[in-house]
Amino acid sequence: MNWLELTSLMPLLLVASISVILLLLLAFVRDHKLTCWITCLGLAMAAYWAFADMGNAPQQVTPLLIMDDFSRLLGGTVLLVSLACGWMSYAYLETADEIREEYYILLSLAALGACVLVASNHFASMFIGLELMSVSLFAMVGYMAHSKQQANMTLEAGVKYMVLSGVSSSFLLFGVALIYAYAGNLNIDLQVAADGPRLQSGYLVIGSALLLVGVAFKMSWIPFHMWTPDVYQGAPAPVTGFLAGAVKVAVFAFAMRWLMMAQGDYLDLLLLGLTVMAVLSMVVGNLLALRQNNLKRLLGYSSIAHMGYVIVTLAASATLGATAQSTALEGAAIYLITYASMTMLAFAVISQLAARDRRFESGTLTHYQGLLFQQPLLAGALMLAMLALAGMPLTAGFIGKYYLVLVAVDSQLWLLLSLLVLGSSLGLYYYLRVILVLCKAPVGDSHLILGASEKLLLMLLVAVTLWLGLYPTPVIEWVQFAIQ
Amino acid sequence: MQQLWLIPCLPLVGFLLLVLGHGRCSRSAARLVGVGSVAMAALVTLWVALDFYSPGAAQSYQVELWPWFSAGALEVSFGLYLDGLSLSMLFVITGVGSLIHWYASGYMWQDPDYQRFFAYMNLFVAAMLMLVLADNLVLLFLGWEGVGLCSFLLIGFWHQDPANGYAARKAFVVTRVGDTAFAIGLFLLFRELGTLDLPTIMALAPEQFVMGANRPTLIAALLLAGAVGKSAQLPLHTWLPDAMAGPTPVSALIHAATMVTAGVYLIARTHEVFLQAPDVLLVVAFIGLFTLLISGFTALNQTDIKRVLAYSTMSQIGYMFFALGVGAWNESVFHLMTHALFKALLFMTAGSIILAMHHEQDIRSMGGLRRQLPVPFWCFVIGSACLVALPPTSGFFSKEAILNASWQLPGYGPWLWAGGVLGAFITAIYSFRLLFMVFFGPQKAQPHEPKGWQFHPPLMILAALSLVAGWFVLPTGPVLPASPAGHPPTWTIVVAIAMPLLGIGIAYQVYVRHQWQGLRLAQWPQLRQFLFQGWGFDGLYQRLLLTPFTALALVNRHDIIDGVPKLLIQLSRFLHGLFSQLQNGQLRFYIATLASAAIIVLALALKVL
Repeated sequence: MNWLELTSLMPLLLVASISVILLLLLAFVRDHKLTCWITCLGLAMAAYWAFADMGNAPQQVTPLLIMDDFSRLLGGTVLLVSLACGWMSYAYLETADEIREEYYILLSLAALGACVLVASNHFASMFIGLELMSVSLFAMVGYMAHSKQQANMTLEAGVKYMVLSGVSSSFLLFGVALIYAYAGNLNIDLQVAADGPRLQSGYLVIGSALLLVGVAFKMSWIPFHMWTPDVYQGAPAPVTGFLAGAVKVAVFAFAMRWLMMAQGDYLDLLLLGLTVMAVLSMVVGNLLALRQNNLKRLLGYSSIAHMGYVIVTLAASATLGATAQSTALEGAAIYLITYASMTMLAFAVISQLAARDRRFESGTLTHYQGLLFQQPLLAGALMLAMLALAGMPLTAGFIGKYYLVLVAVDSQLWLLLSLLVLGSSLGLYYYLRVILVLCKAPVGDSHLILGASEKLLLMLLVAVTLWLGLYPTPVIEWVQFAIQ
Repeated sequence: MQQLWLIPCLPLVGFLLLVLGHGRCSRSAARLVGVGSVAMAALVTLWVALDFYSPGAAQSYQVELWPWFSAGALEVSFGLYLDGLSLSMLFVITGVGSLIHWYASGYMWQDPDYQRFFAYMNLFVAAMLMLVLADNLVLLFLGWEGVGLCSFLLIGFWHQDPANGYAARKAFVVTRVGDTAFAIGLFLLFRELGTLDLPTIMALAPEQFVMGANRPTLIAALLLAGAVGKSAQLPLHTWLPDAMAGPTPVSALIHAATMVTAGVYLIARTHEVFLQAPDVLLVVAFIGLFTLLISGFTALNQTDIKRVLAYSTMSQIGYMFFALGVGAWNESVFHLMTHALFKALLFMTAGSIILAMHHEQDIRSMGGLRRQLPVPFWCFVIGSACLVALPPTSGFFSKEAILNASWQLPGYGPWLWAGGVLGAFITAIYSFRLLFMVFFGPQKAQPHEPKGWQFHPPLMILAALSLVAGWFVLPTGPVLPASPAGHPPTWTIVVAIAMPLLGIGIAYQVYVRHQWQGLRLAQWPQLRQFLFQGWGFDGLYQRLLLTPFTALALVNRHDIIDGVPKLLIQLSRFLHGLFSQLQNGQLRFYIATLASAAIIVLALALKVL
């Protein structure tokens, strides 16, 4: 490994070093604030490095990882999401009856796994990244094991996630093994060994199908979504934010890379499977959310629907030639960035509220009634997040959805486009319902006082969500630059 | 003339300041912003006028501020256009407007919603200025709807009383009928000429249209419908008397001096289109004539001081339409200006009387007020003199010119003239009936005259202007076609001067000396009732339009088409329930689902093989 490769790998190394530093530090000092600071600073530096490195030539670091602009862009996004997650975790853990510091080690490991996944162009590194992320998340989802209030919920969620994730990983791993059996190596572009495929292509088809199952589980595409609402609801709010933001971005980035390379007869199968899952996710995901009464569960269903929408870009990239592929890639990247910003905004609000009163995350929507009059900042931010998720113009959500429509029209995916429209209109119902609850007359009075750093986080996320909606040109140009 | 953009901007900024600072600033601050912004707009108008009148200055000035939108061939910009016509309107709006704002700052002082009032008033002035300064019809329409909105808001300003809200709604809905026609007219105009830019339309209309052909006639008729709605002319006039529910300064500004004359401005502004449709012009003349007669007769026996003035306003705008119809374009705009002055004066004087009488508006409970209220009395005398066109007040000059022009219209000329003179006769009777009933006779209540620098100075300034405005020369000459040359016979002028005097004489006999009681309408109660209710138009519309419409609405109360969305709602809810059942929290069920879904995927894969 030469110097150039080492520097281009720097974001990953930085994140990895956070976990090592924290492990060593905790042997001597236990200080929640310091731990959080180190994590956030490290993640910020890593994200900065990733973005600052953009424009440099792609670096293949060992056969396992490729650091091109796509990895840097989406890896940086994942790191920023993790940063927001670490930031909002502080207040949440402060009020928890729990050992706090180890959480940040898990968070940095999960972020590292997500980054590896984004950068992998080899099935081995993909699996390592995915499992590093998932295993850390098992512990994070079930982290509140000692809290009287939360232990049941959080442990149940953690166990469910672990078991189901294990099952899906076994499918995925078996798929990878079949692909290896066919191709003789594990390169993502399926370069067959020089002496030709050792087995007939049926192995490749079956292997890809099983791989798709594994990916679909992580993306919570219907019918592999069953875990989503339970885990979203049970996990601590910042962890749910990580699940909804970072995990989805990372896995989708891998899926995009894989399908762009895919060619040949098994592509039809993948397309068919993707289309079916997209249709189901868009329609059923929105229907499930329709009258949901727990906000985190609602956002879980909403994320199912959103991940269904974004399949449009995958389908488009798999159908068309190189020029359309870059549009699809651009659409996917912009959609993921906008989705990450608005979903993190929503979870930042939830976790700040839940830090004061856990009923905000475990209870029904009635706890939010009249919040606009008691907590205008928090409620306003939540309203913005809801409007953005619904795809209202002038918010980030509109730009993302606009790109999806553009891509769908370009690639003539009429079925998916019409369902996207149908799903969006269904979605409006439950997003507006949340806003309606926020605007109702308050019951009782609440005395929540936000710290300065919490306010700053909210302001930043609000600013990003609005900025992406009002003046998206710089980000669009940036994404276009990264994709070329 | 580069400062032109400031004129509509200043009141708009005033509006924004008042709205954003709502509940946060004092009454005097609201007064400063509310009155100051319009007064500054008036000063800027003077500045612009100095430029306009300076030797060698252009006769028209067009400036595009920024593009608004462009769709296909339609490119609309925020652009301003100044010529003699819009400058005349600027004088009226900012000049009379700032005097009325000044007066309103005292009149509304006790009102709890002082700031909201001035916010609406400033928004109104901004919209009105946008209307007259627009260089294209789309922007004009924006201003047109803007003044409609402000009129709605201000008529219903005291919204605590549902009757006021009803009046506001009525005004809004009735004018909307005209506005719809206006909008359709704009679409047709765009289809025919391919542009909505006013100077271009004025240049293209004579070339592209064949005089008297169907298309210009249809377009002009539609524009006329818009103008009729806004200016409260027959048959869309029923909203104006009810609009008097608003505060009196609102009646003075919106429902006398400015907004209701927007229809006149629209026709004058698009005169090239109307010149291609002589039939429509004749209709304009007859609409004006009928309106001025009908509303004059109605004003004869109204008992509410503001309603008398409202009918009188309709009647005077009728004269303006009449003038437009007979080709007296300049005279019409001139009458618009003089009417704005003396009618604002009359309304504000009426406001002072109403305040003095503790919000009593019924003239039957007034009387003998001339000693207690000397300043309002003399202002009212001057205003009434202008209204009935006594020489040498401003009203005389403008009305005389209109009547002279009407005589010379070939064909119907003398008939129209006779109608106009009859109108002048009736005007004299109802105006002086009002004056005599309020200020003469036995005193019935003790008034408390509102005094202060907000009450008398604006009245006196307006009174002085009303007296001398007859000698003003408006710069509309180069813009509008000249009225027909020549002079009518001398006897027509003598009759036209004599008729108002005769009317005053009759009013004096009946209402001061209480003679000739046989002339009073009380002799014929049914006729009186008919006239009192404005010739039964409200009842007619009720029976013709509202009753069938509500009946139809009742039949379809459970909207048939609503069934489809309702079905969709039911379906969504059913499916939601169905899928939610699957989300049962059982780990074994989740694993089973995952495995079966994977098997299905595998089966598909095997099928592809």
